[in-house]
Amino acid sequence: MNAMNVNKSIREQFADTLTDVGQADPDLVVVVGDISHGVLQPFAKACPGRYFNIGILEQTTVSLGAGMARVGLVPVLHTIAPFLIERAFEQIKLDFCYHQLPGNIITVGSAFDYSNLGCTHHCYNDFALLKTLPNVDITYPGTAVEFDALFRECYRNSKLSYYRVPGTSHGVEFKAADIKPGQGIKVADGSDITLVATGPHLKTARGVRDRLASGGRSAEILYIHTIRPLDVDLVRASIAKTRAVVVIEEHMRSGGLGDEVLRETRDIDTVRFASAAIPDAFVTGYGKYEELCESVGLSVDGVMALIDDQIF
Amino acid sequence: MSDVLNKDLRRQMVDMVVAGKDGHIPSAFSIVDIITHIYALELKIDPKNPDAPDRDYFVLSKGHGCLALYVNLHRHGFITDQDIADFCKKGGILGEHPDMTKVAGAEASTGSLGHGLSFSLGIALGHKVKGMDNKLFVLIGDGESHEGTVWEAAHIAANHRLKNLTVIVDWNRSGMQLLPEDDLPAKWRAFGWHTTVIDGHDPDQIAAAFAAIKSKDTDRPSVIVANTVKGKGVAMLEGHGRWHHRIPNDEEYAEIMGALI
Repeated sequence: MNAMNVNKSIREQFADTLTDVGQADPDLVVVVGDISHGVLQPFAKACPGRYFNIGILEQTTVSLGAGMARVGLVPVLHTIAPFLIERAFEQIKLDFCYHQLPGNIITVGSAFDYSNLGCTHHCYNDFALLKTLPNVDITYPGTAVEFDALFRECYRNSKLSYYRVPGTSHGVEFKAADIKPGQGIKVADGSDITLVATGPHLKTARGVRDRLASGGRSAEILYIHTIRPLDVDLVRASIAKTRAVVVIEEHMRSGGLGDEVLRETRDIDTVRFASAAIPDAFVTGYGKYEELCESVGLSVDGVMALIDDQIF
Repeated sequence: MSDVLNKDLRRQMVDMVVAGKDGHIPSAFSIVDIITHIYALELKIDPKNPDAPDRDYFVLSKGHGCLALYVNLHRHGFITDQDIADFCKKGGILGEHPDMTKVAGAEASTGSLGHGLSFSLGIALGHKVKGMDNKLFVLIGDGESHEGTVWEAAHIAANHRLKNLTVIVDWNRSGMQLLPEDDLPAKWRAFGWHTTVIDGHDPDQIAAAFAAIKSKDTDRPSVIVANTVKGKGVAMLEGHGRWHHRIPNDEEYAEIMGALI
């Protein structure tokens, strides 16, 4: 395994991990739609004949990936999230999921990472869409270490594995051995409220916890890198204890992690729930990624205001 | 109608539709002669080992015509008499579109147009990655050729020189009811495919087209654009109209069977 570099971007790790795994596994094939072509050159050189910059045609990219799986190869399909998940949704549904064929989809352009490119390059409904399909696992690695660990664990399983690669890391370096698909991580103990965070917003959750502590409240933080299968036991145990929860996610409110948490804990009495998510509307503004986060309340101030309004 | 091929299979398909009370007879009659040739003479397949890695592949992308696939899978031992009897019945494995997850020998689950060729492209490209030379035949419809994914796949296959991939276009003019200006052979040639145009119901032309592909001196993929007749073989079924998805009544059944003696 390559040495982990805490400063490495998740996308750089994605390229390094594929190169490393591809050299050991002759069935791994990478198909990209002219995205990450530069960073994947080491894979192309190390694994000749198994790298395809196939063209700008995402629907066929997904279908041909499924066809490759049909003959026993392990496809990795990669481009920007909206083009693979939204445009090629029926190809994912029929050619991978209905056929029960395994494979891997790795996207960049998570949510509104490409902030200034607007709606065409945003994708904040991918969890919702993919959750409607059987045979899909959904991961959201928040650091290079997480990507490496999750990919190695999942890439040859019997499912279609989706990896939503964000442009921003949450900055907490977990040990690789602690990253297990389907297992959330309790980042901090607390008793008054549970903060369930995914993706870069673990960082937001930690800021909120500090702010709450200064006001005399104790927040427990759960970090979720696998949206599906969700670590229901971890979530239920925490919420049964605190009876208050905020789910912080860079996804539309509808169909995201918040909906899932609410559904899985609906039988626990008197739970106060709030969703810090992208509203069910298009994000139309421009600016830096962080500025778009702030505009939809995905900031420490935004989540604190939500807690003041809906929890305490 | 003495020149009509495969009358026995045509009769079998009509019986399946009458018994199952569902099905698309004309779509299947349009392609049955080509599919029967492919199963009899072009494919290396083994019903005892339908997933053998070195097998050849046939993918019916226009899934509506599945009856023509089913009767050939039955003839070659992939599915049973009971499977045929249970067409479109509760508990059966044969529905109105082929289902790879249920039917031995069905290489893809199709029905939503524009998937089969792109999926097959992955099979062909996958074989190339693995250094295997399996042949792969994909039958698409002319209406299906409205789908953009067909041309995405055509573009890739030509550029990657997938010489073992052959597409058969069932050019029965269904698509031209909507978009009459549609020179399919010219399109395929423009995409760089080895292109042949034949009468898809003429056994000599069918055989010659496949023989020419075997001896071609190009590494390009091949396409056979087959002029076909929807409902071919029974005058009352031919053409476009109400018979697309109609179940024959007793009187119609007798007339159809009479034409297929």
